[in-house]
Amino acid sequence: MSDVRREVEAAVAAALAEALPELGPLDPDAALTGDLGLDSVQIMNLVMEIEDNLDLSVPVDILAEVRTLNQLTAQLVHLKEKQA
Amino acid sequence: MSLFDKFRPLAETRAGLGNSGPAPIATPIDRVLSATRGVIDGKEVILAGTNNYLGLTFEPSVIAAASQALAELGTGTTGSRMANGSYADHRALESELAAAFGWPSAMVFSTGYQANLGVLSGLVSEGEYLLVDSDSHASIYDGCRLSKAQTIRFRHNDPDNLDRRLARLGEDAKKALVVVEGLYSMLGDQPPLAEFVEVKNRHGAWLLVDEAHSFGVFGERGLGLTEQAGLLDEVDFVVGTFSKSLAGIGGFCVSPHAELELLRLASRPYIFTASPSPAVIAATRRALTLLIEGQDLRDSLHRNINHLYREVKAMGHELGSADPGPVMAIILPDRATALAHWRGLLERGVYANLMIPPATPAGLNLLRISLSAAHSEDDINQIVTALQSLRETIPLAATA
Ligand SMILES: Cc1ncc(COP(=O)(O)O)c(C=O)c1O
Repeated sequence: MSDVRREVEAAVAAALAEALPELGPLDPDAALTGDLGLDSVQIMNLVMEIEDNLDLSVPVDILAEVRTLNQLTAQLVHLKEKQA
Repeated sequence: MSLFDKFRPLAETRAGLGNSGPAPIATPIDRVLSATRGVIDGKEVILAGTNNYLGLTFEPSVIAAASQALAELGTGTTGSRMANGSYADHRALESELAAAFGWPSAMVFSTGYQANLGVLSGLVSEGEYLLVDSDSHASIYDGCRLSKAQTIRFRHNDPDNLDRRLARLGEDAKKALVVVEGLYSMLGDQPPLAEFVEVKNRHGAWLLVDEAHSFGVFGERGLGLTEQAGLLDEVDFVVGTFSKSLAGIGGFCVSPHAELELLRLASRPYIFTASPSPAVIAATRRALTLLIEGQDLRDSLHRNINHLYREVKAMGHELGSADPGPVMAIILPDRATALAHWRGLLERGVYANLMIPPATPAGLNLLRISLSAAHSEDDINQIVTALQSLRETIPLAATA
């Protein structure tokens, strides 16, 4: 696993614990809005937390395409690598 | 399988609001009697759920200006100013708006929604950035979607968060337009404008302030929060609407940059739609004069605002904003309690707004009361008495 991926996964886990502590461990392939039942406010807070942790800004249109945690992680790795 | 299947959750939400009495969403108003009175469900009520901040909708000279234009210039322009002709009155209104700010350029749009669509999508494009507050109005978000620029959200009213995001852009921050509102209409809160100005100046970014709800309300001449904060020299664009304090319909953008004029050639929401009707433009011109000279109207409005805030704070309600403003949002613990307050107010002769997710930030359930310069002290007293009696009858612990 690349260093960037490790960093991103740690940031996502920390943000989940911070923004949505009530959820516990999540299935990374579950749909955020469908299966996990998150609303748009919860997802925005989660992403803001991740952005702070990673010192990164995620463009809004990229978020619109993300359905699962794994997809979010993949996008974050991609953005983080571009930033480096 | 139907195209309408996806609306089922929305339909269920609406159904969940019950069908006893008038609907809290798209509430039917049988008749409007004045700036502050209407008939709902056959009963006369105080209107405290409109955006008629200066109470100008029935002002005789505004109506006279509209009537005269209607008779002299007809019912509509029947087209776009770029394609079908640009009337003298539309141009005069733009000159008057620009002059009010002491700036070289102003553009009029057919609605405030389209002003944001037209300015954001036209001005900021591929390879550039839109940095918008996360609580932004839908018209700002939709302007971003129509733009080819990259859109980045910053935390609501958080200049430090904006600072970090501009820092990440490095040199590209000079190609970034920061967008904030002068008054956020869901919670009624205001941005720390001076801090935002400091941050955007340090990064060389641009700043647009949407004064939709603050125009007419704040500032010596009613130009908005930017004027009140003494920051007119520090912003690049002010967007506003004719539909609230100006009591009509339409929108505008003013700028100290004369090049704003070039946007007329490039902004699709400006070009590909009909311009406002002559009567609307004439009414707005007259209302603009009254707004600029309307310190007395603002005094009345702020007297009402301070009165209501003082009383409601004393009731122990949690409010969306500690700063008194024309919109008061009472935060209620859940939808059922919010709905009970909304219906209770209506039964006591006061029409306010029920605001629920997904329209609200942070998933809040709100009872929203908007005030007008035209409300009398008795009106405010009646609103206070109604809220007081609800406070005594509806428990604020979760009722669900
Ligand atoms: C911040 C903001 N911008 C723009 C608009 C759109 O204005 P209009 O209703 O004139 O289209 C509104 C309100 O509706 C608003 O609250």
